[in-house]
Amino acid sequence: MNRTYRPIGLMAALSLVLAACAVPTAQPAQPAQPAQPAQPAQPAATQPAAEQIVLRWRTRPDNKEEADVYASISDEVSKKLGIQLVYEPGGSETASYQDVLRTELAAGTAPDVFWIPGTDIADFVQRGLLLDLRPYAAKTEGYSDANYYPEPMFHLTYNPETDKSGETLWGLPRDVSTFVLYLNLDLINEAGAPDPRELAKEGKWDWDAFKQVAEKVNALGGDIKGYGMNAWWGPFGAFMNAAGGGFFNAERNACNLNSKETLTGLAFLRELYNAGLAVPYGEDSEPPFRAGKVGMFQNGRWATPGISTVTFNWDVVELPKGPSGHMGNWLFWGAYVVNKNTKHPEEAWKLVDALTQPDIQAKVAARGTNIPSRLGETVFAEFLKILPEKNNQAFLNGLADKPTAEGPLWTGSWPDFDRAMGAKVSDVLTGKLSVEAFGQTICDEANKAFNK
Amino acid sequence: MSSAVAALSPMRRRADVVLGVLMAWHILLALSLIVGPPIVLSSLAAPDLIAVVLAIVALLVGVLSALAAVFIARRDHLGRTLSLTVNYLLCLGSALALAHLLGVFMGLDDLADAMARGIPYLLLLLVIIGYFISTVEVRERPVPAARRALGRVVMISGGVGFLLTAGALSALASLPSKYVVGGWLPFALTLVMLIAGYMLWRMSRRDCAQMLGAKNVHSERLSGWLFLSPNLLGFLLFFAGPLLFSLYVSFTNWDSFNQRDWVGLDNYARVFNLSVGLLATPDQPLRDVMDVGRYDELLRFSAFGQGILIGAEDKRFWIALRNTLVFGLLAVPLSVLPALLLAALLNSQLPGMRFYRTLYFIPSVAAVVGVALIWQWMYNSQVGWINFFITSAVNFLNALLGTEIRDPQIRWLADSDYALLAVVIMSAWQWVGFNTVLFLAGLQTIPRELYEAATVDGANARQQFFNVTLPMLAPTTLYVLVTTTIQALQVFDQVFIVSNGTGGPGTATLTMTLNLYQNGFQSFRQGYASALAWVLFIVIFVFTLVQFRRQRRASGAYDE
Repeated sequence: MNRTYRPIGLMAALSLVLAACAVPTAQPAQPAQPAQPAQPAQPAATQPAAEQIVLRWRTRPDNKEEADVYASISDEVSKKLGIQLVYEPGGSETASYQDVLRTELAAGTAPDVFWIPGTDIADFVQRGLLLDLRPYAAKTEGYSDANYYPEPMFHLTYNPETDKSGETLWGLPRDVSTFVLYLNLDLINEAGAPDPRELAKEGKWDWDAFKQVAEKVNALGGDIKGYGMNAWWGPFGAFMNAAGGGFFNAERNACNLNSKETLTGLAFLRELYNAGLAVPYGEDSEPPFRAGKVGMFQNGRWATPGISTVTFNWDVVELPKGPSGHMGNWLFWGAYVVNKNTKHPEEAWKLVDALTQPDIQAKVAARGTNIPSRLGETVFAEFLKILPEKNNQAFLNGLADKPTAEGPLWTGSWPDFDRAMGAKVSDVLTGKLSVEAFGQTICDEANKAFNK
Repeated sequence: MSSAVAALSPMRRRADVVLGVLMAWHILLALSLIVGPPIVLSSLAAPDLIAVVLAIVALLVGVLSALAAVFIARRDHLGRTLSLTVNYLLCLGSALALAHLLGVFMGLDDLADAMARGIPYLLLLLVIIGYFISTVEVRERPVPAARRALGRVVMISGGVGFLLTAGALSALASLPSKYVVGGWLPFALTLVMLIAGYMLWRMSRRDCAQMLGAKNVHSERLSGWLFLSPNLLGFLLFFAGPLLFSLYVSFTNWDSFNQRDWVGLDNYARVFNLSVGLLATPDQPLRDVMDVGRYDELLRFSAFGQGILIGAEDKRFWIALRNTLVFGLLAVPLSVLPALLLAALLNSQLPGMRFYRTLYFIPSVAAVVGVALIWQWMYNSQVGWINFFITSAVNFLNALLGTEIRDPQIRWLADSDYALLAVVIMSAWQWVGFNTVLFLAGLQTIPRELYEAATVDGANARQQFFNVTLPMLAPTTLYVLVTTTIQALQVFDQVFIVSNGTGGPGTATLTMTLNLYQNGFQSFRQGYASALAWVLFIVIFVFTLVQFRRQRRASGAYDE
């Protein structure tokens, strides 16, 4: 480049830098400080004008369609609140959404408002990353904790300093979900098995009936399997719950994986796998289900949009009842929370409140991915109109039958507990470890998660 | 002669004044940087590491500045070198700090994000097109003036259009407010940047160089360092710096957020802490033998009739180490030996070899995540292609030969006996292509005369391969072995994808780097994760050293 172009190049570089200054990037948050009681918002007079405020917010959409729904909601809420909103679709679960988020929080570049799963609330709170929204909620007309499912609200209002619930407010639940069994009705009919939906209506849908259906479908031969689930804590945990057991003791400060009831649930699952009735543990069961090779596939509401595209006849049924007389289902939930270091706490709260209003929740639920986190007959009635219209009640039944809330560990490290449990359960369900040996050793390992 | 001296005198006088100013600047700078940081540090209640490091850097620059003043006073060329270094670092440092404060880096990041979406950014193409219009010569004829002018217009209009679209005007308008919001710091940084920039420019002028007795060789040396500086500074800032930081972190319990206490060697002790217990019966539970609050069972075996149990404080480290070593032992030969054979094959003059060279290289340039996802799907025991082919082959053989061979229905990623092997196959498939290209390059450097001489001596193809090709390929082989071993010991992406980040089934695919990631970025034990990283570094270092030693011995044998 000759001398003529040197000044042009220099100017261009300089202007590019200047142009970069013009991009409306939200102000980076400062490094996190230990959790402290939140201060009420400053008087409005000291705040910048609403038009100048930029808030970044993020969710974990499962696909582009869901991301588009959130983007359109962002535009709508932006107009309603008069705040400039920048929606950032986060990576999927397998793209380490929470790990990336925590890293950004450590670096001070995280968004102002973000969604996190219920299990992560304790970790985020105890690291001092979340803003206590109680002072802002207290000033908001019409707000009440009772508008939402009580189980998530127990954890979202838990104060780790006093060990009491109802004192703080770490966020509002975006949605809830629960497990159902997605059914391949064509396979079930072909196998001559009884219709699980009818059995459920008659109150005969229990583990024995479930196993019989799985066996009949499996008997079709070839690579057809009666049942399939994916390898994470939710699916096997539901069987442990249904047997009357669970991961933790009542105080949630010690392992309960070696209790008789928990082991009963695990033993039932092991039988299914040993008998070859299920898609091998550790493999993604969704592709074979969608390929028409699995009779019953256990998954949550989030799987509905994907499954709705299959070519065979499908429907859902609630989980079978276990020895405890309940399904042992989970109440999965996630919440919108506010970055402790947001520059605009008042506006961030308004955004969280707006995102959890019934009309917005209905729009997200219409995608088929979520169940609204608000309670009320109107909300339920609206939900029942959404896909699959035939038997959407199965989800609500799951939520009504004493579900166990996906709960954070306030006295330990959930990732450590999950890793210890997940590896051993995997060994049991792949035939490498007996249920007895599991029971003898698991709590020695998993209890270390509570000592951190 | 006398007129030349007379002409020099005003220049010398001016240079003297300039050097006086430069000296004063360096004294001021030295005083500020030597006295300032300790005062600032003592005023902080609990200075963090970054503040301490910045203070040390400031002190060093202050000392260099003081030395620069001394050598300038003595009219020593070293004063020029030091002055240029100090002012260069100061100017660059202030400019970067200022850009950070004004949000330029975040803005550039957003601009880059928007680049893929925004059609207006295509305007940048006009700048490139304009440049070609005004510079490309056709058949070595000079570019006509009209075309040069046209190119310039296209270039400038494209550039201006882009800048307007990118918001340069609003940036200019918002700049003063950013300065105001930033307080005194942006102004101070701008002032320092401008002064240091001016001093840098002034000292680099010929009159100062002459006054300080700088020779061409000194200027050339400085130019060399200047050209090297972007890489060198980048290395120090983004490689050596984090490396040393991670070493420091490995002696703390840092969690990325609040906690950072010095714990000495505790992290390393936890990594290696093992306990040995003697068993009364082969199935005696761990809790009867050692403290289960601290140790997990790692291994139990029998030796000389005595049952022995080994417990580990961090069982997952040892499992990860074993898996990583097994992975390396399988993946390295599987990606090196086929590569050598393929290279020998592709080195022939047969038609279509160029196509095959490209074909084998494609996996190496494919994204690891995409490749791993495809393999994950292919490995599915029910609907995957691999089992489909195995089943088809078994059925075909049974039908053809009347045998009753059982379809193994391998659960590639769900069975802990096969999962690591599945990752080995996937990784080897991906690495073979790159190694093949390296071997191919090595093969093409072997002189043909050696083969001709061997042929004359009566060596057959096999003898030529083992006695000419292999020895001559030794340096390439060493390079391929070392890089592939390092790659294997650091395997992460593949296991992360196929096991959904768990290292499962069970702990079958838990590798050193995945364990490190889980500790560092899922449990946020950065201190412990850093210790694991240094242990991995030592493992890799030992392996590499052994390979170098073996190679040296082997090449000694060839030399003899």
